[in-house]
Amino acid sequence: MKQIYIFSCILSLFFLPKLSYAQGFQVNFQGQKQQGMGCAGTALYQDGASIFYNPGSVAFSNENSINIASTPIFSNVLYVDSATKQGYRTKNPVGTPFSAYGIFQAHKHDKLKFGIAAYTPFGSTVQWEENWIGRFALTRLELKAIYIQPTLSYRIADVIGIGAGFIISTGNVNLQKDVPVQDSIGNYGHAELAGKALGFGFNAGIHYDLNKKITVGITYRSQINMKVKNGVATFTVPASLNTNFPDGAFTGALPLPNVTTLGWAYKATKKWQFVLDINYVGWKVYDTLAFDYEKNTTSLLDTKSARNYKSIFAFRGGGMYKANGKLDLRFGSGFGFSPVPDASVTPETPDANRFYFTGGLSYRFTKKFSIDASIYYTQIKRTAQNTETNLYGTFRTKAIAPGFSLIYKW
Amino acid sequence: MNRIITTISLVAFTVLAVLSCKPKYNEPTYSKGEINPSRFVMIGGSHTAGYMNDALYYEGQENSLANIIARQLGKVGGGNFNQPLVNQSSIGISSNLLSPMKLGYKTDCKGVTSLSPIRIAAQGDLGVFNQNIYSTNDLFGNYGIPGLKLADVFSSNSNPFFTRMASSLSASVLDDAIASNPTFFSVFLGVEDVMDFAKSGGTIENLPSATSFQNAYTNLLQVMTANGSKGVIATIPDVSEMPYFTTIPWNGLTLDAASNSTLNSIYNPLGYYFSVGSNPFMIVDSTANVFAVRQILSSELLTLSLPLDSVKCNQMGVLFPIRDEFVLDAGELQYLRGVIAEYNQIIRDLAAEYNLAVVNVNEFSKNLQTGFVYNGVTMSSKFVSGGAYSLDGIHFNAKGNALLANEFIKSINLNYKSRIPQVDANSFNSTLFP
Repeated sequence: MKQIYIFSCILSLFFLPKLSYAQGFQVNFQGQKQQGMGCAGTALYQDGASIFYNPGSVAFSNENSINIASTPIFSNVLYVDSATKQGYRTKNPVGTPFSAYGIFQAHKHDKLKFGIAAYTPFGSTVQWEENWIGRFALTRLELKAIYIQPTLSYRIADVIGIGAGFIISTGNVNLQKDVPVQDSIGNYGHAELAGKALGFGFNAGIHYDLNKKITVGITYRSQINMKVKNGVATFTVPASLNTNFPDGAFTGALPLPNVTTLGWAYKATKKWQFVLDINYVGWKVYDTLAFDYEKNTTSLLDTKSARNYKSIFAFRGGGMYKANGKLDLRFGSGFGFSPVPDASVTPETPDANRFYFTGGLSYRFTKKFSIDASIYYTQIKRTAQNTETNLYGTFRTKAIAPGFSLIYKW
Repeated sequence: MNRIITTISLVAFTVLAVLSCKPKYNEPTYSKGEINPSRFVMIGGSHTAGYMNDALYYEGQENSLANIIARQLGKVGGGNFNQPLVNQSSIGISSNLLSPMKLGYKTDCKGVTSLSPIRIAAQGDLGVFNQNIYSTNDLFGNYGIPGLKLADVFSSNSNPFFTRMASSLSASVLDDAIASNPTFFSVFLGVEDVMDFAKSGGTIENLPSATSFQNAYTNLLQVMTANGSKGVIATIPDVSEMPYFTTIPWNGLTLDAASNSTLNSIYNPLGYYFSVGSNPFMIVDSTANVFAVRQILSSELLTLSLPLDSVKCNQMGVLFPIRDEFVLDAGELQYLRGVIAEYNQIIRDLAAEYNLAVVNVNEFSKNLQTGFVYNGVTMSSKFVSGGAYSLDGIHFNAKGNALLANEFIKSINLNYKSRIPQVDANSFNSTLFP
């Protein structure tokens, strides 16, 4: 009759994530030339990265090319708790997103182009310091996702190209947090959720040369629902509570929103070119994060966490200066609104409205071989109280991402 | 040449940017505001003392309400805070001379073994009471004394938790507490005044009248504020919200078909009916009928002292009604809550009169009963699993004390324009599971 009521709702707070340097989950590190110009380039064909930025632009390529790139991300978050005034930091390992693109045509001046792309719109780890104040919300989040996108592009007129690609997305997620049950010497329990995710989508675009100076591009990348079907939940808890926290399978899903982009490119002079992209990101789809555990107990219940993200606009722009026949210099900047309402700010997503700045260059060693480099910098600050965990404090993030690519054309 | 310069400057920029990529942590600025925390003294009962798991012992004292507050005051200029510490190697002792409780395995009368609070030893360390640890060189700051009622403050008394730390046999708690000339004080009294009544199921009726409570509290504050000290006082929680009174369910009597029909045949003539499944316990009530027995109401509470083996195996609560000493009935609860409300009104009025900060512990206790999420952890007044109360069901554990200390700090900050940081309550121990 007298029962020892064991914990309920302890795990009511599991979140899937997103990256600290990204607006929402959106990471725009898919092309060095575009990164150099504020991550814009929907209306400007430059290289294979257009398979991502605008499959319609790819129709205006006139070469076979292979392009591989990597953009290491150095990101650091400081959280200062409003009640205790104590600061806690992340110890993130360097993220290494990469991209690889190939564009092929059957013969010169063919209207049809084939493209294949592989890129990592996620690929980072958020690791908080030991015993940090938010450890029951998150201690570590590791996300890896690879998108494979075979693409066809067709030039339907001298000034209009269209293109579309199918996206297969595979990923791994590993989410860890402490569980508020203590063993006989006071150590807290720990939970680890690991799984593979799979999702499908598409990326389509139109490229239109308005006149010799101005080009317009429109793209639509569909929503992708990343589903974790056979995730494994592992709990480290005191022996007397093992039956309350059974290791077992879980399922979950994370929607990656659709992105609609309207872009312009303006060729001011022979030496100067400018681009502007406006993104509309359909974050509204991310209203709830749900986890369904195969084995439920009074301590381990299925969870539904409100997210209530808002769809947002982002503005990105930049310029390029052709210094000489071999060297191009780039610069750019952008601003994005945060999709995350105050109530949903979490240690995985210390997101905020943000400005960022970029720069870059290209150097052509020969007609066939060239390199690109870029750099991205942002710092953001967000003070909010999460209504699910009641964590209340200020997140400050600084991120820098220098990127590098090798391009071979023939 | 141009290229080389560009490349070098880009590389240099990158390296510099990567190195400077950590957001800067600005050391927080704390301030004492209008208080002088250099000499802090707190007077209270068992909660203030760090009594938990039904005993006073070193680790509990280290995490006492008074000590946590004092430690934070230390960040704005508070001085040493001495506590009447039990020896670190001692197991400690309860007011019934027992040892502290821990969570362990216990086998009941039916042979079922389950997780349950058990004593860590056959009896407490009597040595705790045998030695007086008063020292004129290190005057105590923590006058939280288990069982201390408001009126006990003014006279010498034989409470062994006080005699072990008293300056002399004739000294009063108040004399000793002000001997060090406190510059800032806290009073958290009144809980023990209502506790005897509540724990005894209303059979011990020794609650002070509102008038005597008011007079005593006024006298106390006059003395404490005589030298101009600021302070923080606290309201009394509705003790019936504590797990000691809310853990055993009123309808915990589970009947199968056979016992259901037996009970109905016995009790139907009295107007009490049973059904298969969960039913109200039978309790003693001399006003109910000639047999002085009735079903307990859903609003009435059973104490954690109820002998559960008798309930499980010897028909207690069924054929043998539960005795009054284990039941807070509707009338007793109404009386108890009325008295607490009166006391609290007095405390709030006095806080206003003496310009003192007042912590609404009554509201804190209500919030715990509802449950709230603190930095990702659900806290409630549920027994064991709620995370705030220790295994005796009355006193907070270290984490509960830390949460309550934060309420004191918030109240001080608000009232005295100070900036004293709160503690991360999750870094304090809660229930430890084997």
